[in-house]
Parts: sequence; structure tokens; C-alpha cells
Amino acid sequence: MIGKIWNYLSKPELVPRLFAITLAIVFIFGLFWPIYKDNNQLYPKPEYHSQALKTPLAPYDRSIVKAQYPQYLPDLGKITSYLTPIAIFIKDRTLFFGTTIVSTPGGILDEILYYTRGMDTVLESSILLVAFIIFTWLYWNRERD
Amino acid sequence: MIDGGIFGIVPFGDIIFKYSMFSTIGFVIAITFTILVYLTKPEKQLEAQKFGEDKLIDIPLHELKNRRYMAIVCGIATAGAMLTQDIFDFALFLTLVGIANIGIVSAVKREHVLNASFQYGLTSIIATLPLFGASALILAKTGTLSILELHHLNKNLLFEKILYGLGMAGETGVAPYYAAKAEMFRAPGSPYILMIHLSSLLLIVRTVEILLTI
Repeated sequence: MIGKIWNYLSKPELVPRLFAITLAIVFIFGLFWPIYKDNNQLYPKPEYHSQALKTPLAPYDRSIVKAQYPQYLPDLGKITSYLTPIAIFIKDRTLFFGTTIVSTPGGILDEILYYTRGMDTVLESSILLVAFIIFTWLYWNRERD
Repeated sequence: MIDGGIFGIVPFGDIIFKYSMFSTIGFVIAITFTILVYLTKPEKQLEAQKFGEDKLIDIPLHELKNRRYMAIVCGIATAGAMLTQDIFDFALFLTLVGIANIGIVSAVKREHVLNASFQYGLTSIIATLPLFGASALILAKTGTLSILELHHLNKNLLFEKILYGLGMAGETGVAPYYAAKAEMFRAPGSPYILMIHLSSLLLIVRTVEILLTI
């Protein structure tokens, strides 16, 4: 009996299904779990549309930066307010810099968006890079034996 | 803190890399194995044929380069995941390890290997939902992502922890299953497969340490 179950479980295509079912059950139990938002947030979100047409960096203008570790705050301020020359060039010409394609994650706005979170921006772009490497390798070698 | 004394920290903004007793050991192991993987040559295999001569299977250079690169990325990501003191950063490291694992497996041109790596890819795509969802829930509930801060807060995070553990299990925890299932041990080019196991092992231990700390 147990042997039959093990044999049934040994199919590779079964694991994503089992995993998804487990996840669904856990999420159903999660409905009974109290989920709330603490008001003392380290990364506060500005009110919707409160920055539109007032600052070119809307909706990502983080004028006040709170640091997790206050002893590193002086260095953090120098980096967080930094914009690349290209970013400054675009920012001076349009009020919609924050919503243009160049400021999406991976674009040039990343400096102000993510630098307080340090390594995150490096990791996100390297995940994307690795995914592209795998895809291009498979694509270029698809006819090779 | 259950991870022993602190040797030093490397601050990157709000994310801190901490060298403690536990994380330094994991870091050194991951880096050592990465260097070993870089230096060793993959083994060749003699495959017995039913009719005619036995044939020696060699790994072509282009495949070797890709798999070695992916193994090195996997090793470096594992080493980074040992040190980081941030929930979201650790989730990103897990995702990077997962995708590098798929890269190691997917370069082998055999049908059952590619099938297994496709299924592993599906599992790790599903697993990003609980992983990042749990990070978001923890951020909403406590207002911070730093493990050092969460240690002092003493909030009840049981459901989030279960979700986080599930995400880790789907992202790297099931990788050895697929590596074994696809008979990767018998596929040529063994040292790169060891990276999947090593990263999975180290990351499971590290996740348990994080979940016990916060």
C-alpha cells in the first residue's frame, strides 16, 4: 500500500500540483488568521495622487527617508537623493518622469526607489539577467545535439 | 539570537550583511564549493551499449560553460543568502538560487531531464507567491523587514512563517527531488549537480534559523 503511494508520488509532474493544493489549503486556513496593518511603517506610502503634477518624481518622491539603523542615516541621505545625469536631464523637462518607461524597476529611477534597500536592486536585476541567459542559451542551442 | 557571536557587519543601506558564527560557516562552505566547482573538470562517462562498442560520453564545451556559470551563480547566491539580515533580501536570494538551479538542469539535452526541469520551474514559479506574500504580510504587520529588528518585536507571525517556509520549500527545497528524479547523478557532468544539493541544504538550515529568530 505504502509502496503504491510512493510510486504514485514519484512522478515529477505531480509535485507542482501537490504543492499548489497544499498552498490552497494553507491559504484557506489563513482566512481565519488575523491580518492587519501596523501604522508604524518604516516605508510609508504617500496618499494616492497626492504627488501628481507637483513633483516630477511622482509617485515615487520620498522626500523624508527613515532608516532602519539610524547610525547609517548620514551616508544613506547622500545616496538616496542621488540622481544620475540622465535622470536629472529628463526630470527637468517633464513632470511625468516617475511614470515613464525609463523609471520602471530596472530603469534609471532605481537609485531613488531602491537604494535605501541596498542589495535589492542588484539582486532583482541579476535574477532578470540569469533568466535571460538561460533563455538565450536554450534558444541559440536549440538545434544543436 | 541563536546564531552565535557576531564577528562583524557590512551595511548596505537598510540591509545588513552579518558575519556571525553560524552565517560565517555557511558562507565559507558555499564559497569553498563554488571554487571547487570552478576548478574541477566534469567527469566523463562510459555508457554500455547493447550492440556494438561502448561509447564515451563527453560534455561539449558550450554546455559545460553554461552549466558551470549557473553553478557559480548558484554558489554566490547561496553565500549571500547566508549573510543577509533582511526578509525580502533573503527571498530574492532564494529566487536567484532557484532560477540558477533551473539553469544548471536545463542545459542537458535529454527529454526526461528537460521534463523534470520544466516541472521544477513550475513549482518555483508557484512558490514565489507564498514567499513574497509572506514578506509583504510581515512588513504590513510589523512595519519592518530587518531580522535584527523583528527579533525584538515579539509579534505573533505563525501564519507568515508557515507561508515563508512553504515558499522556501517550493523554491529550493524540492530541487534535490528533481535532480534525483531526472537521474542527474547518472547524467554526465556531475560536480555541477552537487551545487543544487548544497544550496538546498544550506538554505533550508538558514531558513530554519531565520524563522526561529524572528
